Amino acid sequence: MNWLQNISITCFAASYAVVFALEISRIFFDVSFRKYVRVGFAAAGLFAHSVFLVLQGKLVLGSNGLWLGSWFGWCLATAWILAFAYIWISARQPKSVIGLFLIPLILGLIGLGVGFGTENQFNSIEAKSIWNMVHGFALLLGTAIVALGFVFGVVYVVQSRRLKHKSPQSKHFRLPSLEWLQKSSEYSLVISTFLLAIGLISGIAINWTNQTDGALSGGGTIAWSNPVIWSSGILFSWLLLVSIFSFCYQPSRQGRKVAYLVIASFLFLVLELAIVWWVGHATASSKSEVALHSKISSMSKEFHNEVGRLKI
Amino acid sequence: MNLQVIGCSHHQSSVATREQLAFTEQQIKPFLDNYYSKFPNSEVVLLSTCNRTEFYTAANKPNSVPGKSELIEFIAEQRGIAATDINSEIFIHQDRQAVEHLFSVASSLDSMVVGEAQILSQVKQAYKLAVETNQTAALIHRVFQSAIRVARRISNETEIHTNRVSVPSVAIGVLAKQIFERLDNKKILILGAGEMAEETLRYAIQEGGKDFTIINRSIENAKQLAMKFDGRVGDWDELEKELATADLVISATGATKAVVNSDLFDRVEEIRKQKPIFILDLAVPRDFEHSISDRLNVYLYTLDDLQKECERNRQSRQSHYPKAQKIINHEADLFFNEIQRRSSGSTIAQLKRQADNAKQLELDRLMNRLEGVSEKQKSEIEQSFNRLVNKILHPPLKSLQTESPQVSGGLLEALKKLFQLGD
Repeated sequence: MNWLQNISITCFAASYAVVFALEISRIFFDVSFRKYVRVGFAAAGLFAHSVFLVLQGKLVLGSNGLWLGSWFGWCLATAWILAFAYIWISARQPKSVIGLFLIPLILGLIGLGVGFGTENQFNSIEAKSIWNMVHGFALLLGTAIVALGFVFGVVYVVQSRRLKHKSPQSKHFRLPSLEWLQKSSEYSLVISTFLLAIGLISGIAINWTNQTDGALSGGGTIAWSNPVIWSSGILFSWLLLVSIFSFCYQPSRQGRKVAYLVIASFLFLVLELAIVWWVGHATASSKSEVALHSKISSMSKEFHNEVGRLKI
Repeated sequence: MNLQVIGCSHHQSSVATREQLAFTEQQIKPFLDNYYSKFPNSEVVLLSTCNRTEFYTAANKPNSVPGKSELIEFIAEQRGIAATDINSEIFIHQDRQAVEHLFSVASSLDSMVVGEAQILSQVKQAYKLAVETNQTAALIHRVFQSAIRVARRISNETEIHTNRVSVPSVAIGVLAKQIFERLDNKKILILGAGEMAEETLRYAIQEGGKDFTIINRSIENAKQLAMKFDGRVGDWDELEKELATADLVISATGATKAVVNSDLFDRVEEIRKQKPIFILDLAVPRDFEHSISDRLNVYLYTLDDLQKECERNRQSRQSHYPKAQKIINHEADLFFNEIQRRSSGSTIAQLKRQADNAKQLELDRLMNRLEGVSEKQKSEIEQSFNRLVNKILHPPLKSLQTESPQVSGGLLEALKKLFQLGD
């Protein structure tokens, strides 16, 4: 099984690139066997992707680090979920060219992951705790589903605009029905809100636990001033408000408005991730704060001792 | 094989003639029985649809198929009309032309709406009735089974059937499917109870539509339509309420001005809360004010919009016509080659048998005259006779196999005459 060790990012990225090329070719001409080749390449890519995440990404607990512990792993894992979703959509909507919108997102995430590099953002010891696992997986799934909702939203807008302007449907460029897209967008909104809620709550719990375990006096507090914490809070509040608003106000869950909401949610998510990237992860940050406080405390003690010694 | 088709179609016959020659399913069986009573040595298939009535006749022996005038006389007599009334509007195709015509008809290349799917099932039905009447109709089997195969091939290899071309089918089969995933859980509202409304409703039901309400100024017509499709009749005064809950509206009233104006739709929208609605305004003049199409989540298509889509699809179908025609030519070649092979096969066998018999007679006579011939010598003589017969037969048989069906058909006839072979 040594050959599995040789699977690189190029293997699955190339498979997805071929799938994208095949999706583009659907616009221009028909070939009966293409769908099998397309799904075959996507499945092969997903297999290679899975093997890479397991073997190269150090998924196994107890190893040196956790795959979710870096932007690299985060992006690749999100891309994996979207690739899985692509195969599922290909089976559900075989005639639609939704892959044209989804595959670039997958390739973009892989590219982004490679660009960020494999340096760990999170402490590997923390990563082994159950709360960290829940936190990581909930946020990962939530992120992927928001991204998927974004694709559904964009496709909805394209399809709706085409129907509104009475543009003829090309037999080579078929999109799912508005009803399917609307329902999928709604589901993605609700599920991602739920997952991000779990992610946020578990994140707060981790933060709380870390601080109570740390050297800070006065017990556990949450670093609300931390940009990661407040931006996550805003993202979650947005999703929660959108979900409640949709539930209470019927027009907001009708047609194009749902599409706009999921697109806006994705933009919020991108903003949130940008903040996380900019300031570093909250827990990592709080750790360094703890370390800094400890250092200041010990320096203060030394200072007092020194002053006392000088007085004597 | 002698095959011919005579009949009338929308290409060259008036509606009056087509009506006179149209047969219902119940009338076909007695007609076929009468035909076999009068022309027992031939086979017949009667294809009768809205746009054509065609009589395919075939026989193995020449002159066994009734001629055009003879058949027209017979048909006219069966229909109780004068032959002279229809004579000028009847076409006739024979042999290859007849086969190509049948292939075109079955593939719907000859239909009024090229690519329509119904004709193939009508051809199959005609074939089935013919076979039920005369189960030994071998020629009919061969030609109709080929036609069905050709129609399937054209359907698979071209896109002549893919795009819909009638307004109701485009509206429901194409556009409604782009908006709704399914129709069985949608509320369908029909305004008007005329032909267009009925035809569109029929498609909606075919696509799974179940819950529909019919509203019409004349409640009687609405009731009739509702009874026909097991639907509900709504009150015209409750139009706003019905519109507020509908997902799909099919509107084809005979009103002289818009029945749903902007103000009325404002009130409807208040209740709908921007729920998406697909409106098919198939009326002329339009039933829905044009400005309604600008509203959010309202997809309003008029007859003009749909006709444009139909025309595009028609052109798309036409673009596949040459490819389909090429398939028909190729299949007709294959069909006649096969017929030729079967036909020449029996003649060749007869010829070989005749030559073998002559050879054997001469060989026996020679052996009786010769004395003291060893077994080895006998064998040499027999082989020599065999080689002689083969060398004589080889050139004509090779010509039969290599020449085109038209030429080899003549050669076959010549061979039969020259060597006095039976059919």
